[in-house]
Amino acid sequence: MNDEVYSFALKSTLNEIRNICPGVKNSFMFKEDGEIITGEDESPKKVIARVIDTFGGILEKADAIGGVDCVTFECSKGRMDVSRMDDFYLVTVTSRKADVDHVNTVTRVLIPTVLKLLKKIHPASLKSISSTPEIKREDQTVEEGVEPAEEFTEEPETEELEESLEPEPVLPEPPINQLIVENLAGLFVSSDTVRIDSKILAEWEKLYDGRRIYEAEIETFDGKAMQCKVKPIKDLKYEGKGIIRMPEKMQLTLEIKKGELVRIKPIIE
Amino acid sequence: MVKKKKSAQETAATDEPVTIDATSINDLRECLEEIKSYKGVIGYILRNSTSAAIDLKDPTKLIDYAILSSSALDASEEFSELFNLGKIKSIIVEGKDVKKLSLTVDENRISIFMEKNTDCEKILKRLHKLGRNR
Repeated sequence: MNDEVYSFALKSTLNEIRNICPGVKNSFMFKEDGEIITGEDESPKKVIARVIDTFGGILEKADAIGGVDCVTFECSKGRMDVSRMDDFYLVTVTSRKADVDHVNTVTRVLIPTVLKLLKKIHPASLKSISSTPEIKREDQTVEEGVEPAEEFTEEPETEELEESLEPEPVLPEPPINQLIVENLAGLFVSSDTVRIDSKILAEWEKLYDGRRIYEAEIETFDGKAMQCKVKPIKDLKYEGKGIIRMPEKMQLTLEIKKGELVRIKPIIE
Repeated sequence: MVKKKKSAQETAATDEPVTIDATSINDLRECLEEIKSYKGVIGYILRNSTSAAIDLKDPTKLIDYAILSSSALDASEEFSELFNLGKIKSIIVEGKDVKKLSLTVDENRISIFMEKNTDCEKILKRLHKLGRNR
């Protein structure tokens, strides 16, 4: 049982909810730090990233009302609900014709039940979900049409399964984290260095028996990838928010901008 | 009770339409005063391009509540555009302790704060009735 299975289970649940409730247009889940847990097939990752970024603005300012348990945006053509479930937020977008009570009943029963089951089966992995095989596969198909990225073409779908059968892998697979891009500017800013949570760096170093991580590989959802130096975030206001601070030049190279989501993994020397 | 009016200088920079029907604003304020008397309601913020009226039981929360209201209303516009949800009718943000209902009546941005277990349907009906009458 691993993280992929958790993401797969949650994604299947969201897809099933969509089948049961035809009024559901989109649904996905994310963590408070902005990490995407999973999304059903109809929710593009870029849209999810924008929602998380915008919703982050509300979360930051919700201390005055004791944090956010639930938000409902009622509109003329439909509605969007964001509900807190354990450590996750579930977003459901429904059409005007949707039976909202039915959708709420289904989501509020199914998702917590699945989460509870997953926690019982393997409590540790649910906390450390960082990427999903489904997301990878979708990206691969997009990337193949645009610009094939070296890493994905070399990595067949079954590789991970085969690797898991190997008796003694030399090093663990590099963990992939999804982070939201934030600008990094200043007189002494190095154009080839990004800054991420010190917590993530510490996790990476722990995974590789205390080896120092100096470099990482960044990938966008459009298939652009580059290697760069990585250092911990200095500014406390950006700590623990799932943010990657990136110089403007690097954003231009990767054809991304502030608020977009990228994946980052350590490079082990 | 705290009431605040923005100065003309403050509001001159906004891009929103400046024409405000004074009678309508008064109706709205009267309506909000009535709503404030409902059980569980702890205050409101009314804003438009020329003025702001704030009435909160705990004035120390004023800035925090105002920022949260503004964020939620701005976010709703982006979400509506992203998912093609059309015109925003209302936003309800439920926290651990407090619930906030935000909506726009004409060019007026309204946020009403209430205890979490308060039923906001009655408030919504009252405000929509006002909107229809205008």
